[in-house]
Amino acid sequence: MEVIKFNKKIYTLKAVKKAVEEFKNLANFTIKELDGYFEVKIDKIDQEVKDVIKDEFANYALGLMS
Amino acid sequence: MLKNKDFCFKLNKEQKSLEFKINTKIYSLTAIYQTAYLFLDKVYVFLDGEPKKEIKVIMKGKEGQEGEDGKERLKKIASEFYNELLNQLLREKVSQTNAKIREYIVAQALYNAVPNEVDELLKEVEEEDWQADPLGIAKTWEESSSAKASASAEATADRSEAKEKKKKAKKGGKR
Repeated sequence: MEVIKFNKKIYTLKAVKKAVEEFKNLANFTIKELDGYFEVKIDKIDQEVKDVIKDEFANYALGLMS
Repeated sequence: MLKNKDFCFKLNKEQKSLEFKINTKIYSLTAIYQTAYLFLDKVYVFLDGEPKKEIKVIMKGKEGQEGEDGKERLKKIASEFYNELLNQLLREKVSQTNAKIREYIVAQALYNAVPNEVDELLKEVEEEDWQADPLGIAKTWEESSSAKASASAEATADRSEAKEKKKKAKKGGKR
């Protein structure tokens, strides 16, 4: 399982949700709000993308911010 | 001598990533977002920190960018990130300065693109056949009066002919 913590002051929930929507075919995502962060847990990851999904997901969410 | 603690990169060997901080009193968050966006295809970028003070940028090489060459490449990209940050900041300033004139130009272009009612009416009038005179109002008085006179003369001639025919008919009936 992978965990990414997005700073609430930098990333919007809308961007994180949109990124989850785009990546939902590759893994299971759960979002929790925790101490100023959106904590995204990624499990049941597709084996083909397990090494890159965390970074690609973060990149995608950041791309939606600009 | 200038002291700049912000312009230094911290290499995280475990994570194979590079970290550096950006002062948000100098660079706006928008400029940081725009710059990060431009680097997304080269490296993985993650942002953290306190937007009111400083943003921590975490950069990680993509697949096939590991080893010493990868670290050097990452440092080079981080330096380019700072340069691009300045570029984006300048763009933002120019955009703010020219905001009003840009809005004016766009408004003018949109206004000219929409045809107004007066233009449409003028176009209709221009397209009409103005030389046609179905009511005969363009004729001179002489033309119109001579035409009326000949028409009335014809009408009286017709009436007198009809009267004569009636008289003949009556005479024939008496015989």
